[in-house]
Amino acid sequence: MTDEVQMTESSPTEKGRETFAIACGAAGWLVPGLGHGLQKMWGRAIVFFITVGALVLIGAGMRGNVFNSDGGDAFASLGYLADLGAGSFYLLAKQDEPNGADVSRARGDYGTRFLAAAGVLNLLCALHAYEAARGRKG
Amino acid sequence: MNVHFTHFQAMLLFALVISVAFGFLSRRRPLDRVKYMLWSLFLFLLVGIGIGWAMYPFSR
Repeated sequence: MTDEVQMTESSPTEKGRETFAIACGAAGWLVPGLGHGLQKMWGRAIVFFITVGALVLIGAGMRGNVFNSDGGDAFASLGYLADLGAGSFYLLAKQDEPNGADVSRARGDYGTRFLAAAGVLNLLCALHAYEAARGRKG
Repeated sequence: MNVHFTHFQAMLLFALVISVAFGFLSRRRPLDRVKYMLWSLFLFLLVGIGIGWAMYPFSR
């Protein structure tokens, strides 16, 4: 009976690991690379911080569209979700675009893609940090 | 900050940054990472330029 209980319930170590993994994922989303930094994967942490940061800065510099929560259609809502993936860098993109987006030229359109890619890439990195903390990825 | 790039420069920069991130995400050994980055960069450029040329007949 005791064995059955032990088999179905996860041990405190596993619970702690799961909590740490969730914290790593959340930290990785909030600040790109932080999830890996908490696990002392410094190379990955620095590279993810720089790549996501570069995509956000370039995208905002090209006056790409930083979507808001009050998007008028499904595409704007999806764009908002993608942009939000960049975590705190979403706010950086907003700050870096005082004159707003200009998608009337190809440059602004490219910028929109850069910003969306930064968000989606950061979500991938956060997911990787979560999986690595659970011991599923190296 | 105001950034100006040509279409090709923007595509090249995008491919380069994403390839580096993919290399670090999916490979662990440094040599494997470099190989993956180069292969990913090559495919990004090949597909981008290929689609560009495929659209050329319909551009005018």
